[in-house]
Amino acid sequence: MSEFVEKAVSVPTETAAGRRPIGLLLVAIPVFLVIWLVIWPAINAISRTIWRTDADGHSSFDLSSYAFFFSDRYSLDNLAVTLWTTLVCAVLLLVICLPIALYLRFSHGRLPAYVQALAILPMFVPSIILAFAFIRVLGPNGMVDILLNAVGLPKIRTPYLTPWGPVIGLVWDNIPLTVLILLSGLGSVANQSIEAARDVGANTIRVFWHIILPRISNSILVALSFSVLGIFSSFTLPYLLGPASPEMLGPFMQRTLRDVQDPIGAMTQAVVAFGFCILFGLFYVRSVARNRGK
Amino acid sequence: MKRRTFMMSAAGAAAGLALAPRMSFAAKGQIDWYTSSDTNILDFWTNIVKPGFEAANPGLKLNLVDAGDGAGIIAIGERAIAAKQTNADPQADYFESADALLPAGAIKAGVYTNIKAAGLSNYSKVNPLAIESEYSLPYRGSQVLLAYDTTKLKPADAPKTWDALVTWIKANPGQFVYNRPDKGGSGGNFVRRAIHQANGLDPKAFKVDNYTQEFGDEALGKAWKLLADIAPHLYDKGAYSSGNTQSLQLLSQGVVTMIPVWSDQVLQAIEQGVLPAETGLVQLQDLALCGGFTRSVVIENGANHEASLKLADFMLSEEMQSAILTELGGFPGVSWDHVSADLRKKFADIIPQSIPTFPGGKWEAAINDGWYRHVAPNVDRKS
Repeated sequence: MSEFVEKAVSVPTETAAGRRPIGLLLVAIPVFLVIWLVIWPAINAISRTIWRTDADGHSSFDLSSYAFFFSDRYSLDNLAVTLWTTLVCAVLLLVICLPIALYLRFSHGRLPAYVQALAILPMFVPSIILAFAFIRVLGPNGMVDILLNAVGLPKIRTPYLTPWGPVIGLVWDNIPLTVLILLSGLGSVANQSIEAARDVGANTIRVFWHIILPRISNSILVALSFSVLGIFSSFTLPYLLGPASPEMLGPFMQRTLRDVQDPIGAMTQAVVAFGFCILFGLFYVRSVARNRGK
Repeated sequence: MKRRTFMMSAAGAAAGLALAPRMSFAAKGQIDWYTSSDTNILDFWTNIVKPGFEAANPGLKLNLVDAGDGAGIIAIGERAIAAKQTNADPQADYFESADALLPAGAIKAGVYTNIKAAGLSNYSKVNPLAIESEYSLPYRGSQVLLAYDTTKLKPADAPKTWDALVTWIKANPGQFVYNRPDKGGSGGNFVRRAIHQANGLDPKAFKVDNYTQEFGDEALGKAWKLLADIAPHLYDKGAYSSGNTQSLQLLSQGVVTMIPVWSDQVLQAIEQGVLPAETGLVQLQDLALCGGFTRSVVIENGANHEASLKLADFMLSEEMQSAILTELGGFPGVSWDHVSADLRKKFADIIPQSIPTFPGGKWEAAINDGWYRHVAPNVDRKS
């Protein structure tokens, strides 16, 4: 969505003033949707968690639900595992996706087309199907265990129902978006500049470090902030593949709301999650702003 | 670059279509039906009840919708209350599984129908033990049992008391798993059985309205000790599956030897070959694991109220009650006298003398919160 917003915003600056109303109209719909579906509920949640009505019907400023969250070992453990999962996923995504994107950018022929199709495949697999496939393959006595057993090797220590379960699932799920964004960033690296660097004797690592990396650092930031936002608030994969405790904030919020029947607690967790997502979002906004300043 | 742009816009357009709000209005003669039960129940309604009912009542149709879980049903109930206040269409006629007391105030608002007073021709057949409220209709029952792999555990050695079960779990580390208590009734009722065990095996000690912070902390605290004690001996040194189906999956993949299961789910799994025919079933004899009846609710202000009452009556007919036994593996909501004699003989072994139950309400929230805080994390699984 943000990609479209960005494009829509850029229309009036590039074209004649006569087209300005159309540009504004195009922006109006997404802006309205964002205000309606994101900003308003967020403000609502914040105000309902800090301005609370007590048993006598008096409403007053009250931060006790936040005090509870940040003093409760259990909630903090859940926050910690969410941050840990997000960080590990971000690092793994970069390590896995950057080589794929580089390969796709700098090679020609049929094979890269197949690789690209394969890299984008996860986009079309619903995460619930992914989760059950994961259990069949990497789960206990799953396909990997059967294959290992067939060649006389011991079973693996399965990541199912451990914190690594959601990590593996989330990384796989986020590969397409990351690869696509990195690939579009790599599009701005001119072949001439690489050839020029090669001509003066730069090796592959120097070309990557001094020519490619500076050009795509923005895309890396964008790709990471996008996937990090998704991972931080993910629900299905941590719910199906992760341990009962500590749990990520997504399942924790859902459980607090529905199973513990504590809407204020769930909203508090949501506001804490907003806080972290705003931090990640700032990276994205900053890099977009820096890009447009150029 | 062009291809990429195209792909991005195509993906965006597809996402937009999927996210666009869908408007719907209740259609005349189409009963909007919601369930919070597992897929096997939805399958039963899709394959058995819907064709039977629609054939018996030309012009009426069933629109079967999965509401997800109990909270989903409550949300739709709240919608019906709001619709009643504004005289709007609640777009709901029938809840397959609901608690007449939830959402609070639904009965007072006149949203739930008084089934007893509704004049159903079959109402007198309902098992009196199962009736909890005049506003809900118990139409099927189910019970949690222990299912085990007979190739690893001989039926003669299967534990028949709680103490024997704990001894077996400790002697066979990693061979038992139960699901998180809020994610499915099999694990939930196993946890409730532990609460009964810790509190003198007296199901009557817990009532829907006797929860207090002190009583809850004391009664549940003792149960958390029991459960934390067996935790290191469970599958993967204290892992808990995330639902009834996931536990069955672990049993069927031969990962564990024993799990708590819903009677209807396990009988169906055996029937479909998901579990082998030699899967053993055992019930604890000192006090059975909890079970209960599933109760349906008819929405008073639904657009198809008359048709919904017909459906409720239809569910109590001998045809449907027999199908619950034979097709679903559940047990009937009517008294056993109203089930055909051959079926009564065939299922003599699972006819329960009594089914212990555990109240919901505040107990449920306390159990869900307490288990996650005191049982789930207390294990070092790094080793």
